[in-house]
Amino acid sequence: MKKIHIVIFIGLILFILLPHFTPRYMTAFLLLLFMHIVIAESYDIVGGYLGYINMGHSAFFGIGAYTFAILLNGNFGFFLSSLAAILVGVLFAALISFPFFRLRGAYFSLATFGLIRLFELLAFNLRSLTGGSSGIMIKAEYRLTLAYYFTLGLCVLTVGLIFLLTRSRLGLAWTAIREDEEVAQTFGINTLKHKCVALMISASFASLMGAFYTWYIIFINPKVVFGLEIALVPISMAMLGGSGALIGPIVGAFFITIVEEILWTKVPYFHLAAYGIAIVLVGLFMPGGIVRLKWLRKPLMRLGLLED
Amino acid sequence: MASIIVQLLIIGTLQGGIYALAAFGLALIFGVSNVLNLAHGQFLMLGGLFSYILFMATKWNPLLLSLILIPLFFGLGFLFERGLVRPLLERKGHELVIASILVTLGASLAIEDITSFFWGPEEKGISYMMPSIQMGSMVISSIRLLGLLFIVLLTVAVHLFLKKTYTGRALRATTQNRQGAMLMGVNTFRIGSITFGIGTILASAAGVFYVILFTITPFIGIPLSIKYLCIIVMGGLGSLYGSLLGGLILGITEAITGYFAPHWSETAAFFILVAILLIRPKGLLG
Repeated sequence: MKKIHIVIFIGLILFILLPHFTPRYMTAFLLLLFMHIVIAESYDIVGGYLGYINMGHSAFFGIGAYTFAILLNGNFGFFLSSLAAILVGVLFAALISFPFFRLRGAYFSLATFGLIRLFELLAFNLRSLTGGSSGIMIKAEYRLTLAYYFTLGLCVLTVGLIFLLTRSRLGLAWTAIREDEEVAQTFGINTLKHKCVALMISASFASLMGAFYTWYIIFINPKVVFGLEIALVPISMAMLGGSGALIGPIVGAFFITIVEEILWTKVPYFHLAAYGIAIVLVGLFMPGGIVRLKWLRKPLMRLGLLED
Repeated sequence: MASIIVQLLIIGTLQGGIYALAAFGLALIFGVSNVLNLAHGQFLMLGGLFSYILFMATKWNPLLLSLILIPLFFGLGFLFERGLVRPLLERKGHELVIASILVTLGASLAIEDITSFFWGPEEKGISYMMPSIQMGSMVISSIRLLGLLFIVLLTVAVHLFLKKTYTGRALRATTQNRQGAMLMGVNTFRIGSITFGIGTILASAAGVFYVILFTITPFIGIPLSIKYLCIIVMGGLGSLYGSLLGGLILGITEAITGYFAPHWSETAAFFILVAILLIRPKGLLG
């Protein structure tokens, strides 16, 4: 056992025990944090490793949330509804990867950013299915602790699976595509297939997270799941922390969730402006994100949390 | 029925003209600096807001008032490029996309929050009436026709600027090949600032029409930026005039679907985008 394994192990036990000792506010806050980690980390499969900036990642979150809510209200039960949420998210990812992965670079980001807006409008318009702007309410009961454990579990699963995937042939192929798609193709990588698989895996985590979130929050409407707040999570958190490194989105999620919480409680005005200015400063002065800062790079690499 | 279709076409062309105007500005900016400007919609919103403030103070014709905004917004775009965009230009490919998204998105969030704090989050619109023209069974509002005329004039002016002047030719050269233009003695950095200024003027002009024909709130900026970005993807990768075509197609589609199924007009836009990408992955004129 290396030092880092022990740290991770102790941290996990701490997070498992925490809801029994801390106030509910802390549990709810940690749930939000883990949710942000799941979304940012699953975005990073496509955004960081594959090198396609998918700005519409939260569309999968919303699809999962709506599928879950609709099926749960149709008495399909928690398990089946979550499964369906994953399935619909993954199917949708497969469906859009054909037209969208023909686009490169900035154009891909633009077209996927349009997706969120499309789904927000669809959720508003398909009133018989989604309840339109008044949203969907699922059967309510107190489930904060259980939702916390589900989210924690999904968070560990996401991070663990991405750790394994990026060390597999699949992950290597993604990195090759990021560095140079033509060269990767010449070396016999089926680029379209690999890109499609990456998007499907990335979508599955996000849509399951959407389902869990709905289960916890009880009420969803188009603004909540397709709105800007969720859409900004992968963009700001993964990119702030450092895209393309396992630890990056986690650091970004910790940083932004905590700062946001402080801003919400301490500053009555301009917290969106402060958030915006913070993002601008990151873009201008920290191209690789927090984890690739000069003074942080060395210690992180020594701990084995960051590779070059 | 025929008169309805003609009216829809006129409304659609006008709507499309507004789209085309702002999207053209965005395509210019993207073509020259390769930066995805997510703050473009915010400049549109600011253009609408400022002309609203001027109109409320003077009650003159809002289209004439918009002439005052031109130098103001040129300066705004110029400074935006100097301050926020130029430091990014040395980055390559993947990193440039990330950095430009972060910077322009952050800037637009800040602009949105500050405007909604100082000028309030409520809807603002100019209700400026002019006598409408009646032709047979058709009624055409003359403010719309005047708006269309202004849009055509502005587009022609930009077109002439691009074709005839030295700066315009240098701008087109920079879009085609940055290094090549630099070797030919074009100051590409200065061209970048000027392009941002012109793009911002076009966005703010679209904002003036927007506030006259519809209403604006501080929150329309980011959804509009997304829409304009979709239009330039639809029009064609790296094609300046494709964005004009994309804007017109979108406007007419929205007007026609809006007449038959009002809720679906905006959704139709994105379906068209996906359909075009399926048939022509490089966009209409790409």
